[in-house]
Amino acid sequence: MKVIGYFLLFFVLAMILIVLAIILGDAAPWYFAWIIGTGLLILTSAAAGFMFDTQEDKAKGAPQ
Amino acid sequence: MINNTVVELSRWQFASTALYHFLFVPLTLGLTVFLAALETVYVVTGKPIYREMTQFWGKLLLINFALGVATGLTMEFEFGTNWSFYSGFVGDIFGAPLAIEGLMAFFMESTMIGLMIFGWDRLSRGQHLIVTYMVALGSNLSALWILVANGFMQDPQGAIFNPVTMRMELQSFSALIFSHDAQAKFVHTSIAGYVTAAIFVAGVSAFYLLKKRHLEIAKRSFRMATIFGVLSTIGVITLGDALGFIGAHAQPAKIAAMEAMWETEPAPAPFNLAAWPNQAKQENTWALQIPYLLTPLLTHTLDTKIPGIAEIEADNALRIKNGIPAVEALKLLSANPTDPVAMAQFKAHEKDLGYGFLVARYAPDQDVSKATEADIAQAAKDTIPDVFAIYWVFRIMVAFAFLMLAFFVFGVIYSLRNEVEKHPVFLRFALWMIPVPFLACEMGWITAELGRQPWTVYNLLPTWMSASSHSVSYMVFSLVGFVSLYTVFIVIEMYLMVRAIKQGPDAPHGADAGGHGHDKTLGGSVLSGGYAPVHAKTYLNEQSSKEV
Repeated sequence: MKVIGYFLLFFVLAMILIVLAIILGDAAPWYFAWIIGTGLLILTSAAAGFMFDTQEDKAKGAPQ
Repeated sequence: MINNTVVELSRWQFASTALYHFLFVPLTLGLTVFLAALETVYVVTGKPIYREMTQFWGKLLLINFALGVATGLTMEFEFGTNWSFYSGFVGDIFGAPLAIEGLMAFFMESTMIGLMIFGWDRLSRGQHLIVTYMVALGSNLSALWILVANGFMQDPQGAIFNPVTMRMELQSFSALIFSHDAQAKFVHTSIAGYVTAAIFVAGVSAFYLLKKRHLEIAKRSFRMATIFGVLSTIGVITLGDALGFIGAHAQPAKIAAMEAMWETEPAPAPFNLAAWPNQAKQENTWALQIPYLLTPLLTHTLDTKIPGIAEIEADNALRIKNGIPAVEALKLLSANPTDPVAMAQFKAHEKDLGYGFLVARYAPDQDVSKATEADIAQAAKDTIPDVFAIYWVFRIMVAFAFLMLAFFVFGVIYSLRNEVEKHPVFLRFALWMIPVPFLACEMGWITAELGRQPWTVYNLLPTWMSASSHSVSYMVFSLVGFVSLYTVFIVIEMYLMVRAIKQGPDAPHGADAGGHGHDKTLGGSVLSGGYAPVHAKTYLNEQSSKEV
């Protein structure tokens, strides 16, 4: 029941975001690009940090 | 009568305060977002080194933020003190975004920065991460509103001039905030801030790598900053192209000046890679051209005509002639707002009202009805901004952008190979790169604002009409005062930054700390607040079992 609840919650959230994306993408394409782009930048930079740690651990033979 | 020296001094004062202010802004815009990335890694992995990194770069952010706010404050008031006619003319439109910007900067951003700095031991990790994201959002949203206001000055959308109230009135708030110029300018400026932060972090990290201090923090920061920077630089170049595309439609004179294009060429027009513009003769003394490149670069087509400066000037002379009856009608309406003949005359020439204002500067007694052909020709000449300055400032900015892109590409390659320490020349070069994004941002603003001349609000309100009626001595005194004060601010910023960087992160890491970044010291701040990181908890358990 809890899983279904979470599913419905995220499903509704995803629908709202998709509708917002359509509206924003049409009226304000560059603002939309900024929101998506900044999120992507943060995640990619964070991934670069994870990758560095993985490489360091591997080089030192430490357990992952 | 308006004193031209006062107008020029008002321009110098605003330009100098804005350029000083924008030495602080981009680092804040970018560093807040970079901190969000750092803290995301900390929250996901639980490795204390990322918390330490967030705190260290956060300390540098705080120094920069404080001085940025201090320099920004005066600018808000400068609109009223030095540009009172402008403020009255467009206050209905300009006031709202300016007020929201103030609210965002002083309430949302400042409050969240306070929580971020002092909340490490008082908030859970998740809560603190949300606060850091809110700082990033707040700083960029405050920039959004001032850029919406600037977007209106570049390409006035969503407002109309009311001949009865004698000022611009807002018609559509959504047209104002969603104007293409405002959108592209905001994203371009915001991402330019990301690039600035990336270069700053990479440069400071390079300093530590050269000095072999704080190696673990420096290597991680360098990796994250170069990845952050390479993507941001691609973004900033893309948005620069978008701004050029938008400007080609909204501000043809600025674009023609940026490209030193004196005559309209058959499409596809050649691109002046380098040239020596001569405004008096309206020609380039010499030019190194790439055939066919300008049209696709600017219009994204092969056959769209790009008007040259001579054509724009001739068109503007016609608009000035058409705008004179609008100004004359306005005078009649100011005496009798219900005069139907004057209103009909105004409506017939309304779209060129601003051009009518332009010639008043040269007409005898500033009476447009007395304007001669020579006055009109002089006013039409004024509609072309300073080509030499704009052309070269724009090119230096673009060259800096590609230099930074090349720097980040090499930085990413060296970092991914984990051999950045083996390239001391590159690390020293990284130090020299630190001023480059700041200079590029300044060049961008000079291009944007110098290119908008002779207007404060494009096609509507000339700069010469916008200033307040101060005395020359007042303007000289306040200009010298501001420049001196802001220079002191810059010196303070540099001193505090250099001191904080030399001091380095609070707790030792890297070569002198050993390990791979996991905090073995367990400072009180880590244990307090009920959110000890995963590795700290493991350490704590190990200690407990030893004691048993």
